[in-house]
Amino acid sequence: MKKFLPFSLVILALALFSGCATNEARYIDPKGTETIVSLNKINIQDWNQAADELVADMLTSGVLDRAPELPALMAVSRITNKTTSQADTNSLTKKVRVALNQSGKVVTTTTMGYGGNVEDPMAQELAQMQTFMSGEKQQTRLPYYTLSGLLLEDRAKSGNTNQVTYTFQMSLTTTSDGIAVWESEKQITKIGKKSTVGW
Amino acid sequence: MKISPIAFFAIAALSFYSVGCKSVNNVERANPQASPSYVEDQRIITDATLANKLQILSINEATVSGDMLKIQATLQNTSLRARTIKYRFEWIRADGMEQASPANSWRTVRMQSGEVRAISGIGPSPQIRDFRLKIQETKQTIL
Repeated sequence: MKKFLPFSLVILALALFSGCATNEARYIDPKGTETIVSLNKINIQDWNQAADELVADMLTSGVLDRAPELPALMAVSRITNKTTSQADTNSLTKKVRVALNQSGKVVTTTTMGYGGNVEDPMAQELAQMQTFMSGEKQQTRLPYYTLSGLLLEDRAKSGNTNQVTYTFQMSLTTTSDGIAVWESEKQITKIGKKSTVGW
Repeated sequence: MKISPIAFFAIAALSFYSVGCKSVNNVERANPQASPSYVEDQRIITDATLANKLQILSINEATVSGDMLKIQATLQNTSLRARTIKYRFEWIRADGMEQASPANSWRTVRMQSGEVRAISGIGPSPQIRDFRLKIQETKQTIL
């Protein structure tokens, strides 16, 4: 009996320290640290971190307070993805938009978009119908700012170790003069031999 | 040449210890010109080991973009090796309710031995009055 006691304690300790590791599908916090870290794509935590840092940078710059009318109206322009992975840039822009909206400094138009691609075509149609029904030309508020950006990727390899850097560049331009009144760049670098769970 | 097992383990331990053991020398102005607004904080320590190795030197606040609360914590890695920590700010409105933000998530920062570094966060709305800063050590990755 005495012989088995230390052995049992070791097994118990191992079980305790192993935590709740399981191979079965389960829910995790998307803002937590149990998410997968990939070397071949931009992960959810990368979008979160880039958006958080870009918004913090924009708010700290104080540029949003210089708009003549608050909240200022902003339209989302082109966000170019030059990385090798297929990525929906809305993963970045929506987070930035929501954060700016929560700050009370900026609201975003959904009836104007780059290349005529509007986010909410029904709202646009209803506005046109309203103009037609009233018989008067409605005053359209034009965006004071446009938000544009670029996603870049840089890869390096040493032996079996891979390194990938994703660069998130963003500019805020005043539409009246086309001047980029705020610009920022955030980089996220990941290094490793293979993707891992948790960080 | 014959090496005793004790000497072998001593050399191995020393080699292992010296990996990633380069510390950072910090130089700053003797009489700082900045006048930060320090926040009186209370700390709930559940990981005493981390608290000993990673000291929170100060926490100060500022108002950015007119009415947004910005909090900055200055940390120092007082241990003998580099450490990676993760941290997260949580934000509390004037009515005591926590406010979520889509981009507010855990972040990591790697600090060399002796390094002093500031981490900061901005409250998601002008209604934010208080904050909670969570700090945890991450799993170490040695390539």
